[in-house]
Amino acid sequence: MLKLVIAKELRDILTSTKFIVSFASCSVLILVAFAMGAAAYRSEADRVEAARRENLKQMEGLTDWMMVRNNRIFLPPQPLAALVAGVADDIGGTMVVHGRGEMPQEDARYGEEPVFAMFRFLDLEFIFQTVLSLFAIVFAFDAVSGEKERGTLRLSFANPLPRSTFMAGKLIGSFLALALPLLVPLLAGCALFTLMGVPLTGAEWLRLALIIGAGLLYVGAFLAIGIAVSAMTARSSTSFLALLVIWISVVLIIPRSAILIAGRAVDVPSLDDINAKKFRYAEQLFAEDRTVMSAFAPAEKSDPRAMIAEFQKFMGGLNDARQKKMDDFAARLSEERANAQALQSAVALGIARVSPATCFTLAASSLAGTSLALEDRFVAQAKDYQDAFAKFILGKTGVNPGGGMVFRMRIGNGEEETPIDTHELPTFEYRPPSPGDVLPASLPEAGALAACVFIFFGVAHVAFRRYDLR
Amino acid sequence: MFGTILVKELKAVLLTPRFPATFAVCSILIVLSTFIGIREYRTAEARYAEGLELAAQTLRTQSTWMSLSTTAYRKPDPMQVFVPGVAGDVGRLSPIDGTEDVKLDNSAYADDPIFALFRSIDVAFIVQVVLSLFAILFTYDAVNGEREGGTLQLTFAGPVPRGTFIMAKLAGAWIALAVPLVVPMLLGLLLVAAYGVPLGAEGWVRCALFLLSSLLYFTFFIALGVFISALTRRPAASFLAALAAWVLLVLIVPRLAVMVAGAARPVPGVAEKEGWIDAFAKDRWDRQLKALASRWEVRQGAMEGMTAAEREAYQQAKQQEWANEDDAGRQDVHKDIDAYRVRVNEEQANRIAAQQQLAFALARLSPASSYQLASMGLAGTGVEMKASNEEAMRAYRRAFLEYTAMKQKETGTQGGFRITVDSQTGFHFSAPRERGTLDVGDVPVFVPPAGHPGRVASSVLIDTGLVAALTLLSCAGAFVAFMRYDVR
Repeated sequence: MLKLVIAKELRDILTSTKFIVSFASCSVLILVAFAMGAAAYRSEADRVEAARRENLKQMEGLTDWMMVRNNRIFLPPQPLAALVAGVADDIGGTMVVHGRGEMPQEDARYGEEPVFAMFRFLDLEFIFQTVLSLFAIVFAFDAVSGEKERGTLRLSFANPLPRSTFMAGKLIGSFLALALPLLVPLLAGCALFTLMGVPLTGAEWLRLALIIGAGLLYVGAFLAIGIAVSAMTARSSTSFLALLVIWISVVLIIPRSAILIAGRAVDVPSLDDINAKKFRYAEQLFAEDRTVMSAFAPAEKSDPRAMIAEFQKFMGGLNDARQKKMDDFAARLSEERANAQALQSAVALGIARVSPATCFTLAASSLAGTSLALEDRFVAQAKDYQDAFAKFILGKTGVNPGGGMVFRMRIGNGEEETPIDTHELPTFEYRPPSPGDVLPASLPEAGALAACVFIFFGVAHVAFRRYDLR
Repeated sequence: MFGTILVKELKAVLLTPRFPATFAVCSILIVLSTFIGIREYRTAEARYAEGLELAAQTLRTQSTWMSLSTTAYRKPDPMQVFVPGVAGDVGRLSPIDGTEDVKLDNSAYADDPIFALFRSIDVAFIVQVVLSLFAILFTYDAVNGEREGGTLQLTFAGPVPRGTFIMAKLAGAWIALAVPLVVPMLLGLLLVAAYGVPLGAEGWVRCALFLLSSLLYFTFFIALGVFISALTRRPAASFLAALAAWVLLVLIVPRLAVMVAGAARPVPGVAEKEGWIDAFAKDRWDRQLKALASRWEVRQGAMEGMTAAEREAYQQAKQQEWANEDDAGRQDVHKDIDAYRVRVNEEQANRIAAQQQLAFALARLSPASSYQLASMGLAGTGVEMKASNEEAMRAYRRAFLEYTAMKQKETGTQGGFRITVDSQTGFHFSAPRERGTLDVGDVPVFVPPAGHPGRVASSVLIDTGLVAALTLLSCAGAFVAFMRYDVR
């Protein structure tokens, strides 16, 4: 009996104009999102590659590693970020590594090219979150009330059909009718991604599959909500109005206003204040060190080279000691801020999770590696790189200038100096999170979506038991 | 006749659950988003004030004119209460010093990415996305719904001119939907006044223009809905067509336009641009060091054959001259690098402008983007915010550096370190630096750029003109389509 209801539901939906129009437009959108995402990924990758080349080129011709005062590192574009942008374009993706000290992130894409921030990108996450959820409602709003208006509901129940079977058939049938056809453009999009030369690793394919799975679950949640509302209303125009209001609140209003209201309720110390404090503390430490510097007297008093080497070493020690104090100071300040930020996101996201749209966005962005964790991950890996860079320069020159003063002696004796080989420099490779890293963050969100499906299915069930079929 | 149909139309709309639902939702949304906008503006304003205070404090603690640095902050605009635009995306501040170029960084979203996850909810967004959806979904069955209900045939049993009927339809739908927009907007303005947001006379004019452009945009979707309805026989079909049109115009075209423009007119990344400048700077410093070395050789050559005492005296006599000579060389390097930077920045700015032009031209296919551009233009929160602030900050940087250079000359100190390493005299370290703090009372202060009312007016006029033209077209379309409509 269930099979029969599912088959009827499938036939009903698949042969409707509604389905053809929405399927065609969704397919176009999904394919466009994949194609534009792939193109954006490639051009972004080219840009980063060009920047990396330029960064190395400026070091070529140098004859002393001491003169390599810093190295720029870049957060390379991630293929999955082209599909789920998350905050990837909001945070700075460039850092200047000196071998010591803090590295502010620079060049947030949206900050540098605000034209992209105006409308943002058309990505897969947006299509699921906004467009497909709207279409799910368009399919579900008259699931029960529409059949009643057409009189087919009474007809069905002229047969010995349990109401619960009918309801289950409705949900499963409409879900299959929407989800299965969607797989076609999604798979075509994946093929397009490969054809356009976007390299996805096995782990990334797995993450992409999970993102699509979460998206379908989210669409299922909206179907369940739609059917539940439809089973609670007698007329389909009423249920559409109610669902429209629900959709606007859930997709457009709750995530935004919850985060803005709850997030601002938690007081996070401003970065400006912290930076100013650090600047002043650094000035103070440096002033103290100046007196120490003035008192420097080398043991060796005749060989300039030895004197300079000794001074460099002395300065290196001084810098290291100063940096240590600076780090302690900065750690204290940033810990305070980090704690406040953690509380802020717990409160704001906690409230915003009332909306399945928030759950889906959080799940998709953590699966894609573009959630709020992206910044921490990038900073942590950059710090590792900074250590490697410092060690490398120390090995080459005997000191780690760390962006401070360097001294070089040029002896104009016509001796040919050999240029450095910039390829020896350690390279920064961003390691994207593995599926194992992102699953713990995305499972609760997916669980919340599944719970939403079940709850609203239950609601639909209860409401339909008392539904007046006439 | 027009009046009768209008009254009938108004009754039909006002008595359905649609009207109270729209009115309630719009009121809540607009008042909520105005409230959030005021809070966001207050936060930005507090950040700005805090920043200015911190910059002043930091300026006071520094002790040398030569390396004096400060920070310039971008001033938030009260109009961002209604239209935040890209205010959260563009950097809030730029360092002002002798070595680094002006660059707006630390955008609000980069500092606190949690707010970037879903971005803001503001009146412009509500009008652009939510109200347009309401407008189109409440008009899609204006004509064909009456046909299905049979009332259309009934109406035309009387001597009703079709033109009058469709005009009354449009007017009725407009009044019924404009009330839910205008009333809460006026409430929002009251809220802004009650909270004492410093809009100023000009700000109120801009608010009024924003309200008018919102109404115009909204009218377009009403006309489009009626037009689609007059083109189709069944409401189910016009519903789908209207929904598809809305998704296309509001959600797809603007986003697609910028993506296409990004792919068609690529702009080298900032990091690459800075790489060029760094390469030039390194090369220039390298040449400077070589020049320094050869100057040193000439100076040593002049001292050839002197006794130690003579040397000492000669060096003493020449020291200031040499220092000035070296300093002039250093200034030249800075000048050259700055000149190169200006050229590169200009090229980059031109490329970005070309990309933006293409993006906007494509995006204007949709009235949703035209409306967004017009409202951002009115609020001064569009993409030009970045360029105009950076331009003003570059001018400020020049004034600031001129002032510090003058002060440095006045006080006659070089600053920095002097380290001499000599095989005969050994190692000497000195730090000729001013003692104590500086009198920074007269240091130039950054003045935020004034808007360009002329330029803004012309771009806003283009955008609103486009929306108006499309609205007229839709009205005419509805008119023509209905003339031939089969009322049975």
